Amino acid sequence: MSSDIATPGTDPGRYKLCLFVTGSTPRSARAIENMHKICDENLQGRYDLEIIDVYENPEATRDLQIIATPTLVKILPEPLRRIIGDLSDKERVLAGLNLAPLGAANNRLK
Amino acid sequence: MSGEESNAELVAALLRIADLEVRLSEADDTLNAIRAGEVDAVVIGGPDGQLIYTLENADRPYRLLIEQMQECAVTLGVDGTILYCNQRLSTLTGVRREALVGRHLQEFVAPQDRPVFDQLLTRGSLLGRSAEFGLVTADGSENVPVNMSVADLPIEAGTPDLLCGVITDLTRSRKRTDELAAANQQLATEIDERRRTEDKLRLALDAADMGNWDMDLLTGRTTRSARFDQIIGDVHLGKWTPEAAAQLFVDEDRRAVADAFASAIHSGIIDLEKRIRRRNDGALRWVQIKGLTFYDEGKPVRIAGVVSDVTDRRLIDEQLRQAQKMEAIGQLTGGVAHDFNNLLMVIAGSLDLLESRVGGDAKTIRYLSTARHGVERGAKLNQQLLAFARRQDLRTESVDIGALLCSFENLLDRAIGETITVTIKDPPALLHARTDPHQLETAILNLAINARDAMPHGGTLIVSTGMRTVRSKTAALNNTVAGDYVVVTVADTGSGMSTEVVSKVFEPFFTTKEVGKGTGLGLSQVYGFAKQSGGFVTIESVLGEGTSVSIHLPHAEAPSTSIDERAPAREVKGQGTVLVVEDDDDVREIASSMLRELGYMVFEADRGNKALTLLDSGAPIDLVFTDVIMPGDVGGIELARAVKANYRHIPVLLTSGYTAQRFQTDDMDEGLQILRKPYNRVDLSLAVKSAIGGER
Repeated sequence: MSSDIATPGTDPGRYKLCLFVTGSTPRSARAIENMHKICDENLQGRYDLEIIDVYENPEATRDLQIIATPTLVKILPEPLRRIIGDLSDKERVLAGLNLAPLGAANNRLK
Repeated sequence: MSGEESNAELVAALLRIADLEVRLSEADDTLNAIRAGEVDAVVIGGPDGQLIYTLENADRPYRLLIEQMQECAVTLGVDGTILYCNQRLSTLTGVRREALVGRHLQEFVAPQDRPVFDQLLTRGSLLGRSAEFGLVTADGSENVPVNMSVADLPIEAGTPDLLCGVITDLTRSRKRTDELAAANQQLATEIDERRRTEDKLRLALDAADMGNWDMDLLTGRTTRSARFDQIIGDVHLGKWTPEAAAQLFVDEDRRAVADAFASAIHSGIIDLEKRIRRRNDGALRWVQIKGLTFYDEGKPVRIAGVVSDVTDRRLIDEQLRQAQKMEAIGQLTGGVAHDFNNLLMVIAGSLDLLESRVGGDAKTIRYLSTARHGVERGAKLNQQLLAFARRQDLRTESVDIGALLCSFENLLDRAIGETITVTIKDPPALLHARTDPHQLETAILNLAINARDAMPHGGTLIVSTGMRTVRSKTAALNNTVAGDYVVVTVADTGSGMSTEVVSKVFEPFFTTKEVGKGTGLGLSQVYGFAKQSGGFVTIESVLGEGTSVSIHLPHAEAPSTSIDERAPAREVKGQGTVLVVEDDDDVREIASSMLRELGYMVFEADRGNKALTLLDSGAPIDLVFTDVIMPGDVGGIELARAVKANYRHIPVLLTSGYTAQRFQTDDMDEGLQILRKPYNRVDLSLAVKSAIGGER
């Protein structure tokens, strides 16, 4: 999609990701592990990942309309996407990050 | 146009649908995830901010952490009610958890610590606060020291806060602290002990007047005590190495010192006594260095030891050697004088006898008189010899020194001559000394004569008297005892003496005078007399300036009785039978002859046991006149005792040239009379008369 590479200023392919977790709960811990694995395998050197503990910083959930944790938010490239859960479904995560074959989405658009 | 427009609207609508589909799918995913339990917290926005609600199982790790930890975790209501606590608090207090929740934590706080605890409950900063207090177990058996840190946990507006607390058992850390303190204390004690040991060592070294030193042969590092620096007279001595040590000593000794240190490395010991030139005042001092070498695996690593200044000790040693030499000379002199006395006796006695037999022509009388004069001079000389040998009979009494000197002034003036001014200074106070006045006169006269001879061209002679308190160190140097001494000083302005001469002046027959001018016995008499009186003599002399000799005599109290008058000497005849016991044939013969001339009957014996045999035979004896020193088992004293025991009515008169010998005097010996040799007829007549008469 054209809008995917239309962000001015920064490296157009660079990902900006936020992972909202709740302290060190088992699911949050798993989400952090899975996130690192996916990023290392698919986005090496092309991403900034911020992990936000909602206990520490509850107000951060407001802007991105987080309603549960763990939640991964893809801020860049647009469009903004939220993926909820412990990120163990790799396919779903890759799709959400627009890294999976675009077949399904394109089909939908047609 | 309208077709295009509707086309565009259609595309827009399709795009919106696609977007909505995506959002719907996201919402679906979210719902599914929540439903499937894939989330562990939900966020609920509200007017008071975002609130996080964790699902039940999300707390597990925290609960586990809290339950596992060794600290007590507790939530309290503001009044101290326990709302939650972990197992540890239950263990610590000894109350089941179920029974603990709902009670007040205050119940377990040591009463004296309640104010501290109450202060802790008071709402403070959000960052938390902490305090230490005692936590009492439920059965009251233990008071556990704890630290509690507290943070306020706001719940909702209008609802009272909760307090979250962590209580740490301090027993172990207190124990550690206590152990540490104990270890510290022990260390301090050990250091103290060590310091005391060092102090003792230092005290011992100080008492011995020693310095100590340490030479590290590997690093070259050295230590020296303050006394060490004092002894060598240098507090800034840079190095203390064998080389530096050798440099301290005088040129002649340097080589020997270096050798001693070199051999110490192998022999393991150093002991040297050499001379240094003291750094600060240049004084020549004898220094003794003693030390040991320490080895590490056979390799010499350090030498350490002590140092002392032995100059004074050497001086005393020297004085002692001198005193011993004088003593030996004294013994010899005494022996000579004894024999010499007998010879004089024979001559004097013979002269007495001759005088009564030969005619009275003038020439004969003159010759006899000259001979007798010779005997008298010989006797006087002998007296001086005996004085030096301390074998004369010293008649000590408490003597007013001032009065003695005063009465002596004329005589002194006459003896000294006109070219010399004689000044006798009055003593500062009435001073009495225990001594023999006649011997003191002789001593002063001897000193005055020496002074005169040292001032052939005139000068000044000053005799002064003073008092001096002699301390133990000086006393030891002079081989006498500490105490008060009366000092009679005879000082002249004469030629003085060199140190070498001074060291020999007291020896008999040592004289610097021309042959025939002096006997060399003057100062010997002074020396012997002072010693025998319990005093000593010091001498100071500077070449070309003069000499000053001081006689130190023991101070005495004033006498209670005055000195008795001497009876005028005149021969008295008598009668009776005298047993003369004398081993020297000549002397015996003379004595017997004189006694016969005096009107006595005489028996003779040349040994003590023969005299006893004679007495036992029943011979009519009125007096036993015996020499003290005789060969054989029975000497004069033994004979006297035997006579006293068996013939109480027979008196005994002793005679000796050696009269100052210490006779053993017990009760039985009391009343024994002694006639000093050489004696003349007058002396003999008086002594015999008194002995026989006194007994009757």
